[in-house]
Amino acid sequence: MDCHRCNSHCGSGKGTPKSGLFKNWSLGLRNQQQPQIPDELTVADAQIALVGMPNVGKSVLFHALTGIYATVSNYPGTTVEVSRGVMRLGEQTVTVIDTPGMYSLLPISEEEAVSKTLLLTHDFASIIHVVDGKNLGRMLPLTLQLLELDLPLILAINMMDEARRLGLALHPEILSQQLQIPVILMAAGLNQGIQELKQTLQQQIPAPPLPLLV
Amino acid sequence: MNSLVIYPEAIEQAIAQLEQWLQHPHPWQNYRLTPRSLALLLLQKDPQLWDACPPDFPQRLDIEHLILETQEKLSEPLSLAIAQTRQQQAQHLENQALLITDTPRLSFVEHLHRLTVNPLTGFPILLLILYYGVYKFVGEFGAGVLVDGIEGFFEEQINPVVDQITSQLIPWPILQDLIAHDYGIITLGIRYAVAIVLPVVATYFLMFSLLEDSGYLPRLSLMLDRLFKILGLSGRAVIPMVLGLGCDTMATMVTRTLTTQRERLIAAFLLSLAIPCAAQWGVILGLLAQKPAALLVWGGVIFAIFLGIGYLTARLLPGTSGGFYMEIPPLRLPKLRNVLIKTWVRMKWYFWEVLPLFIWASVLIWVGRLTGLFDAIIRLIEPIARALGLPQETAPIFLYGFFRRDYGAAGLFDIQQQGALTGNQLVVAAVVLTLFLPCVAQLQMLVKEQGLKNTIWMVVFIIPFAFFIGYVLHLSLTLLGVNF
Repeated sequence: MDCHRCNSHCGSGKGTPKSGLFKNWSLGLRNQQQPQIPDELTVADAQIALVGMPNVGKSVLFHALTGIYATVSNYPGTTVEVSRGVMRLGEQTVTVIDTPGMYSLLPISEEEAVSKTLLLTHDFASIIHVVDGKNLGRMLPLTLQLLELDLPLILAINMMDEARRLGLALHPEILSQQLQIPVILMAAGLNQGIQELKQTLQQQIPAPPLPLLV
Repeated sequence: MNSLVIYPEAIEQAIAQLEQWLQHPHPWQNYRLTPRSLALLLLQKDPQLWDACPPDFPQRLDIEHLILETQEKLSEPLSLAIAQTRQQQAQHLENQALLITDTPRLSFVEHLHRLTVNPLTGFPILLLILYYGVYKFVGEFGAGVLVDGIEGFFEEQINPVVDQITSQLIPWPILQDLIAHDYGIITLGIRYAVAIVLPVVATYFLMFSLLEDSGYLPRLSLMLDRLFKILGLSGRAVIPMVLGLGCDTMATMVTRTLTTQRERLIAAFLLSLAIPCAAQWGVILGLLAQKPAALLVWGGVIFAIFLGIGYLTARLLPGTSGGFYMEIPPLRLPKLRNVLIKTWVRMKWYFWEVLPLFIWASVLIWVGRLTGLFDAIIRLIEPIARALGLPQETAPIFLYGFFRRDYGAAGLFDIQQQGALTGNQLVVAAVVLTLFLPCVAQLQMLVKEQGLKNTIWMVVFIIPFAFFIGYVLHLSLTLLGVNF
């Protein structure tokens, strides 16, 4: 896998507008420190994370789930920071975290390390491992590593539209049975499979405790 | 938990041993790791975990010893053995779940891919993209039609109104100057940002987003890899460089992801010196559009400096260039929605980035003019401008160029509109401004990515070098008797 080290970026991950004219008034010398891992991750909402190798469509899925736009491009390494957003899931709100792509749990670049640290230090109600349906064999080793961590995993096999065009068909039930986790076929860019994913999430995330009366 | 992956005997034994040791208190208890995954990461010498292990951790030596012992029982490196086992299991799973319904023939997309990466066809394709995408769309449409339209609207509709209102509301001419007249916040700062810079940046980002989403850029990286090797860079640096043609600040931030420090330094340096940002080359394109020969000289000089200085830097800096690994995604038809949203997000980012700077520049110019400080600095620059064969009016432009070189370029545009510059003077001024540091924001990013020392070295080199090249160019044009 010598595609390991491709972290070419367009830098668009930073496209996130930190708008507001007055924030920049200090001669435009605004603090450009990258938020490593947002502190607010300790809120009470259930949290889920999107993880996976670069260029499998995590940010597209993030957009489909939360409605928040994270820059999406057709090359690996577009996302270099963690983005977070909120989605409605039945009665509750769930915080969704989009992570920079990672190839394995042994990080090679800075952004990969960010994703790994996030996984190892936060409690997630569910982790969605997004993979490219065209290259399943190359993607599954990361699934296996995530399973070794005993994380509440959902395997989202994305880009199935392209896989089908290449003449590939997948049996999700076989994978689901072997890996013992929910497996969903989807094409996030075409909004296919999103509903199914939401239903699966609803089953996996326990209902929130009743609000305390103060 | 029953394990999905069973590793070779020696590794499983080591895992079992580690799991046993790790039942006792250990330095990694803050991590959400199962004993098995912790054991595997330790065996693979995960740097993050090993860094977290204090030297006096009693079992540290035992674990190190165990790793060596396990390694001796294996014919291949430990990490490789672990990765291979997982890979085999993944392959096995894929084989079970995958059904290949038909073997695709060499599709149209595959042909297109070959055309873009083969230099024989790839370079003509690049030239086509440059001509239609950059020259025609950004240059003629963005910097020409759009800028003229919005600029005209400002000159005719907004500026006179602003001038009139301020003169009625504010009795003091000094304060009037802050808002209106030649250097006012609205009449100069906001006009530059909205009328001159925004249309150019918007059209460039639109084209860049299209190229991005089609999957063309990684193919361009693949094709240009060999050329970039001369500059001590790998093909991976192509994307930051192309992005730099949009915004050097964004691009400098992106150099972070190149693999070696040497590569990052060269890329950041070349971005600061020889890659003009969209606002800048857009304006220059607009300035020189009527004189194709002058445009060619400007482009040729900048490109030669890019290659020459890159080559020298690569020779002078110790070390070798990194290898080129990059995943090549499929070519796709860009989705209009995504392209538009992305362009919009970038435009917004850029606009909010430049607008305060432009406003600040107006304020600073106002203060500088009020205190006479600017006049003093401008008087210092004037002899330099004259040495370059430029009229005195260009001296303030170089001063503004310190704030942002696109601001300087926009100022040049203003002077040219008044018909005060000859073709030769335009080329010389454009070359000097292009070589200048991009802007305050980029300078700040440079400090962050490369440290203060490297940044100072770059600045100390770039500013005299820019004037020097301008001087040489002026001299050669005069000696050769060229007149654009």
